Amino acid sequence: MSAISLEKLTKVFSTGVRALDGLDLEVNDGEFVVLVGPSGCGKTTALRMVAGLETITEGTVRFGDRVVNDVSPRQRDVAMVFQNYALYPHLSVAENIGFALTNKKIPKAERDQRVRSAAATLGLSGLLNRKPAHLSGGQRQRVAMGRAIVREPSVFLMDEPLSNLDAKLRVQMRSEVLRIHNAIGAATLYVTHDQVEAMTMGDRVAVLYGGVLQQYATPRELYECPANLFVASFIGSPEMNLYEASVADGELVLGSQRLALGGTETVVASYRGRKVIAGVRPEDLELDTAGQAETAGRAGQATLATDVLIVEPLGSETHVFFAIDAPAVGASTLAAAAGETEAGMLAGPAHNGVARCDPRSAVHPGQRVTFRVRPERLHFFDPDTNAAIR
Amino acid sequence: MSAPTLAPPAQQPPTEPRSETRRERRRRERLEERDATIPVELYGLKRGTVSVLTACCVLFALFILAPVAWVIINSTKTQANIFQSFGFWFASPFEFFHTFANLFRDVDGDGTYSNWFLNTVLYSVVGGVGATVLAALGGYGFARFEFRGAKLLFGIVIAGLLVPITLVAVPLYLAYAKVHLINSIWGMILPSMVTPVGMYLMRTYVELSIPRELTDAARIDGASELRIFFRIALPLMVPGLMTVLLLSVAGTWNNYILPLIIFSNNTLFPVTVGMSLWSQHAGNSGDNNLYPLIVTGGLVTIIPMIALFALLQRYWRGGLLLGSVAN
Repeated sequence: MSAISLEKLTKVFSTGVRALDGLDLEVNDGEFVVLVGPSGCGKTTALRMVAGLETITEGTVRFGDRVVNDVSPRQRDVAMVFQNYALYPHLSVAENIGFALTNKKIPKAERDQRVRSAAATLGLSGLLNRKPAHLSGGQRQRVAMGRAIVREPSVFLMDEPLSNLDAKLRVQMRSEVLRIHNAIGAATLYVTHDQVEAMTMGDRVAVLYGGVLQQYATPRELYECPANLFVASFIGSPEMNLYEASVADGELVLGSQRLALGGTETVVASYRGRKVIAGVRPEDLELDTAGQAETAGRAGQATLATDVLIVEPLGSETHVFFAIDAPAVGASTLAAAAGETEAGMLAGPAHNGVARCDPRSAVHPGQRVTFRVRPERLHFFDPDTNAAIR
Repeated sequence: MSAPTLAPPAQQPPTEPRSETRRERRRRERLEERDATIPVELYGLKRGTVSVLTACCVLFALFILAPVAWVIINSTKTQANIFQSFGFWFASPFEFFHTFANLFRDVDGDGTYSNWFLNTVLYSVVGGVGATVLAALGGYGFARFEFRGAKLLFGIVIAGLLVPITLVAVPLYLAYAKVHLINSIWGMILPSMVTPVGMYLMRTYVELSIPRELTDAARIDGASELRIFFRIALPLMVPGLMTVLLLSVAGTWNNYILPLIIFSNNTLFPVTVGMSLWSQHAGNSGDNNLYPLIVTGGLVTIIPMIALFALLQRYWRGGLLLGSVAN
């Protein structure tokens, strides 16, 4: 049985804004589920509805088989970690962590023992008498976690708990949060806007956009089989390269270039002679260093010739930015369609594609290169519905 | 005069703060303050303008402080000297302690200053504390809960700000007569516990200084609404509470019209009404030596307010939320 199940969960604010639209979601016992999406996608609203801090316009929230729509937060027995921690500033670390236990009238001896063990789990043992003002950002975050885990809740909610930490600490706390999750084994609903957090932490990830669930799957599935254009461009960094293209004679027409589709042609068979949106992940573009284009062609691989514009060496890999003459479709295009582009994005960069290459490959801007693409690694989307073509 | 210059970057305080004596600390703070002061030129002001404005402020301060100085000086004089000697300087004999002692004796059977003083303390403390508690509860309620009619009710509270007591004096008297609050201490205390300003201040204070996440977190932690109020919100409302407490205590302390309307029994008078009674007596027959008592009594009456202000000042500090929420 699922620990949390949301059924057609909908929130319409009194201003008429539909923040969440018919969200269906199941979280199994002990599962770590991440709600991810850009800001304003309704993920925090959904979480607050599960917590009982927001009224439910339509739909149901169930914990186990109990409908909790009209149950007050204090009776829902959920633990929640807030984005800005929301520590009680006038209480010590021990009192902060033990506050929920005091509310439950748990005897002092047991309370102390549980607070101490939660503090030990989080490495806060030496700080129990401090006030939040005298803690570092990371320590405050731990206290917020401690306040939640000490209750041994059956449902654990986290609202962007790591977003206020600096980059290095955030990566460190990611594994820390997972370690704690594995130790207590409560069903967890974790909200973030960071797709890396979603991919690295979630057993399953729910991608929300515009209040609507786009896809609910394992990170691997999201990455390899995105259900639609939004998921394709949102998940993965750098983003998937997406272009308007058309299908003709077993080939993909991409601007002035033609890519042999080979066996993949059957996927887009019904789109023959029509437009599709074609996508390829940056790591699926293999740099053809020694003019192996001929052999590639024979091995059933397509090739893409282009000029290198920018080279970004990251150490472990190198990002090669290029431009081809097919119109690109990207997250920014999607955002523009939804009317939320950020001030026109300056003067748009001239590149419309990126490849993830071996750091030792000697590529320099201005160079003419060829990328090999395996046709089965191409993703196709319907230009009208944005849904994946499979 | 040397032109002020931009201060060099503030020096780190000397290493061992523990070994620093109080005197050294004060000196360091003074120097740091001087370093932090920005010369007027950097505000785009001319020295001349600043001098003129300063002179205006000094004049205004003199205007405000002169009566206070007069009271202090004349509390040391005999009745004859109050009228005959120069008002802004001392005259012998020095009668302050004599008058002060007399102040607390029964003067003419009309009730005594000490009686009135205790009445004032009673009305102000009970009324002021009550007003603060009610303002805190009401302000928090208006700030944190959404309920039907909240806007209308708050509008009524705000409207209460605009009604002067003199306007409602007659209806108030008639209403009091009906419910037997004439010549009752509750007639004085109950209205003193109503403070629209206080409620307005508390609502604003709660909205601005208690993050919603904090009360949300407490709710999730299973605290009842009352417990959230007392254990989480109230400690963070202290600076606001102190403001309301001071305003309402001072308001009741200085209230003249209300007790004048509702009390006819001298033993219930607060100092304000009692002293005006003395004033009348002194005016009717000039030889009863009441003027020194009135002047000294006035002085003694303002001392507790000054003390209260000094005492509460340390609660007006920022940083109560430090470490609570990250931004």
